[in-house]
Amino acid sequence: MTTGYIAQQIVNGLILGSMYALVAIGFSMIYGIVRLINFAHGDIVMIGAFVTLGLLQSLGAPLPVVAVGVLLSGAGMGIAVERAAFRPMRGAPQVTGFIASLAVSIMLQNLGILTLTAQPRNFAFPDYLQAVIHVGAVGFRVIDVVIMLSAVLLMGLLLLLVHRTRLGMAMRATAENLDVARLMGIPINRTIRSAFAVGSGLAAIAGLMWGGKFGQIDPLLGYVPGLKSFVAAVIGGVGSIPGAILGGYVLGLAEVLFVGLLPPIYSAFRDAFVFAALILILLALPNGILGKAAEDRA
Amino acid sequence: MNLRRPRWIWLALALGGVAAVGLAQAAWDDYLLSIVNFVGIYAILAVSLNLTNGFAGLFSLGHPGFMAIGGYVTAILTLPASRKAMFLALPGWLAGIELPFLPALLAGGAAATLTAFLLGLSVLRLSGHYLAVATMGFLIIVQVLIENWESVTRGPLGLNGLAALTDLWWVYGWLLAAIYLSWKVKFSSFGRSMLAMREDSLAAQCLGVNLFRTRVAALAIGAFFAGVAGGLWAHLVTAITPGTFSLIMAFNIVVMVVVGGTGSITGAVVAAVLFSAATEIFRPLEESFEAYGIAEILMALVLLVILIYRPSGLFGSREPAFLTAGPTHKPGNHPATAKGGQ
Amino acid sequence: MKRTQLGVLALAVFFLGTGTLWAADATIKLGALYNLTGGMSSIDAPALNGAKLQAKLINEKGGVLGKKLEVIGIDTKTDQKAAATGAQKALSEGVIAGLGYGDTTYVMAAAPLFQKKGLPFVTSGATHPELPKWVGDYMFMVPFGDDDQSFAIADFTVKKLNARNVAVWTDNSMDFTKALSKFYMARIKELGGTVVLEDFFKMGDKDFSAQIARLKAASPKADAVFVSAIPNEAGLSVKQIREAGLTLPIVSGDGFDTELVTTVPGPKLANAVYFSTHTYREDNRPEVVAFVKAYEKEYKKPPENAFAALGFDAVGLIADGLERAGKVDGKALRDALAATKGYKAVTGEITYSRPSMVPAKGVSIISVMNGKYKVEEVWMPKP
Repeated sequence: MTTGYIAQQIVNGLILGSMYALVAIGFSMIYGIVRLINFAHGDIVMIGAFVTLGLLQSLGAPLPVVAVGVLLSGAGMGIAVERAAFRPMRGAPQVTGFIASLAVSIMLQNLGILTLTAQPRNFAFPDYLQAVIHVGAVGFRVIDVVIMLSAVLLMGLLLLLVHRTRLGMAMRATAENLDVARLMGIPINRTIRSAFAVGSGLAAIAGLMWGGKFGQIDPLLGYVPGLKSFVAAVIGGVGSIPGAILGGYVLGLAEVLFVGLLPPIYSAFRDAFVFAALILILLALPNGILGKAAEDRA
Repeated sequence: MNLRRPRWIWLALALGGVAAVGLAQAAWDDYLLSIVNFVGIYAILAVSLNLTNGFAGLFSLGHPGFMAIGGYVTAILTLPASRKAMFLALPGWLAGIELPFLPALLAGGAAATLTAFLLGLSVLRLSGHYLAVATMGFLIIVQVLIENWESVTRGPLGLNGLAALTDLWWVYGWLLAAIYLSWKVKFSSFGRSMLAMREDSLAAQCLGVNLFRTRVAALAIGAFFAGVAGGLWAHLVTAITPGTFSLIMAFNIVVMVVVGGTGSITGAVVAAVLFSAATEIFRPLEESFEAYGIAEILMALVLLVILIYRPSGLFGSREPAFLTAGPTHKPGNHPATAKGGQ
Repeated sequence: MKRTQLGVLALAVFFLGTGTLWAADATIKLGALYNLTGGMSSIDAPALNGAKLQAKLINEKGGVLGKKLEVIGIDTKTDQKAAATGAQKALSEGVIAGLGYGDTTYVMAAAPLFQKKGLPFVTSGATHPELPKWVGDYMFMVPFGDDDQSFAIADFTVKKLNARNVAVWTDNSMDFTKALSKFYMARIKELGGTVVLEDFFKMGDKDFSAQIARLKAASPKADAVFVSAIPNEAGLSVKQIREAGLTLPIVSGDGFDTELVTTVPGPKLANAVYFSTHTYREDNRPEVVAFVKAYEKEYKKPPENAFAALGFDAVGLIADGLERAGKVDGKALRDALAATKGYKAVTGEITYSRPSMVPAKGVSIISVMNGKYKVEEVWMPKP
């Protein structure tokens, strides 16, 4: 097991982690504001992937245009989900919101199967993105670099949005105390809508990256990112955006390293190891890595 | 402190149930019977999860893990020794055992309860979503262990050719036991401490409720019935595989508990019946239009509509009035619990 | 929406749905149990299409024993419980036989119920060679067994690819892939080869970099790598292995029989891949050509995978059995099916000549070079 090998595994973990982090922050954003788990988040990733495929194939548009299109479609989808499933649930018990979003997720998945069939489809990005680069003993593809850089960029932009703009301030205020924020004159509905739009837009872009990295998409692909973003967000501390980023990377690294650094016979036990590690983290830090205690609302 | 509810209502319900089961076994065809059996097992699961999630407010996604443990233990114990030898490589004392249904089920339930204790001791200091992730982790760990411990579980292939021991009498009997136990717990001081803990853990602690012990107990009791349900399931399908008890099943049971009303036993049963039977009702629609997936979409829509109009579930935390008729305390109707939590 | 309105709506939906079933009469009913939603739908949905197509073609030629064939498609949602209730439903509707599934797990939930009722169950896609032994004499398989296909590709690996040292990657979460690996390794050892590396992954895995790194470091060096995977991981594994610069032959079983194996890596990387599968792809027997044309005409797209052809064959086999039995009776059909000799299916000739009741069918070895499929040879098992 050479340093080169270990370095390669770490790089792979970071790449995977970037994607999980990107999906997790949207998830945490939404949770932070409405205190509801959005299980349909993963399916927005799936929609992003399919919209990318559609735009690339039917319009043959250049990648940046496609990316913008995907962002907008994800945002639109997020707003629709908010209006349909979350607005009526406001103030309801947490589990109710969870189940409502689960219902939306089931609808999206089955609509996908009905209209697009369950067959996995090929997702071919332009060749220059698939080229392999080698830095010492570590190899990765151009698209991996693009994924990491854009993920970091988008996360940075998001943190800027949340901490340096009025909209971000409104979001944070709403997250802390919805009623008082309303009393202060913050337009609650619009703020929540924006949070969903931004979070879902990010999820859709993650879908674009997911398709690009793995080359294969199908209507059920959203289940895994949805679940992982939930886990990542919780590990990092639910509702905390930096926590979600951290959680995403922890999860990505754990998944890759448990397979890469253990003998092959243990590769099949990977999920068990990852979750055992996560449980240990939670036992040591019961509110997640960056979470704050006492999330109860007054 | 006991409620004085008319005893005869209980007797009437139980006898009516017995008559219904007898009639169904005699008159209905296998298809309807299999649906009703599954409905019954889901009802047991919903009632048991209602105890863990509903009464104690623990967000546990690990229930199918207990089902899997109970199911496999029961199956291994009822398998004839010859089949055991064909499929598995068990240690000597285990390879020879062959038990009848009831002891095997009890053993399965006991195994699940033991696991619940161990799990609870480790993770029940967590709460909310953190507990959800921890219990999800438990479920996945159980699944991975079952998949890979081939000498005991036969891995992904699972065990098949199990004796079809489950019938409506067994299911109904265990359902009665689960409901009876849940009811007793709910209207006892133990149950009240659970509900108090769910509503406001700080206040409950101040009143002397030992949070940790109560939570472990809630998890363990729920796990027992989940284990038994797993055993019943295995001998209904006559096959058991690691994939049967998945996260998706965990979601299904949570849906039933939430839609029925977290904390309401009647609600759990009603929701279980509604959801397990509904997919069969929508099936003819799917087949005639050949649009597979429509049943799921319709179910999800129904679910959404119910939650929009009744966010606390169909029954909230209460039981129907005619079952709790009594002069004084109606714990379910207390204003704090009627809201169904925050 | 008021409660009463909801109730009326529900009742209306119910009657609308069941009403269409009351219309059937004087038809021969077959229960087709498939997972049309959920994780297995990409494999099962084309099979149902194939099954319905065959029924349609048979009915156009006059049906079976003078009656029309009706294939009742039941979706069991990739859920074992639904498989059990679905089987019960089919039985309650008076089917004469059941067919379905591409995976042993669901066959095991449904077929025993048919066995108990004395009606045949024909699986279109499940390949475990012990299925008839486990279920009983009413169980029939359309495809070959995993042992045959593994032996075929193992023979090819050693004799044609001249590989002595083989690495084996197994998907540890599926019984199909584990069985495949088990048979493959046994045959390799029989032929004097060595398994230099055994590695594992799980269904749903997307990243194979750890396994690839270990493959590169294997000593002695591997001459070929056997990847026991299902279609979802087929394309991904080939792509990543080739991208890492490894050019050694990649071999597998019918899990690699999918467009993804060429589209996901792309024509440049889809090279030196060999897999054993049902004799269907790139085959120009008249049955195959006719099937592909009919499928395209009916569904406006080419068959998605071999399972479409297998579903087609399942119905064809049952119809053929019924004709030979001469009457619509469970036991008679069962005996006729057991006596099947040389039935010309789209996926090869079916004869139940062996005591295991696994058909002795030919296995196609297909190579992928520069993104193009080619049948290298057809391996025949000992009859």
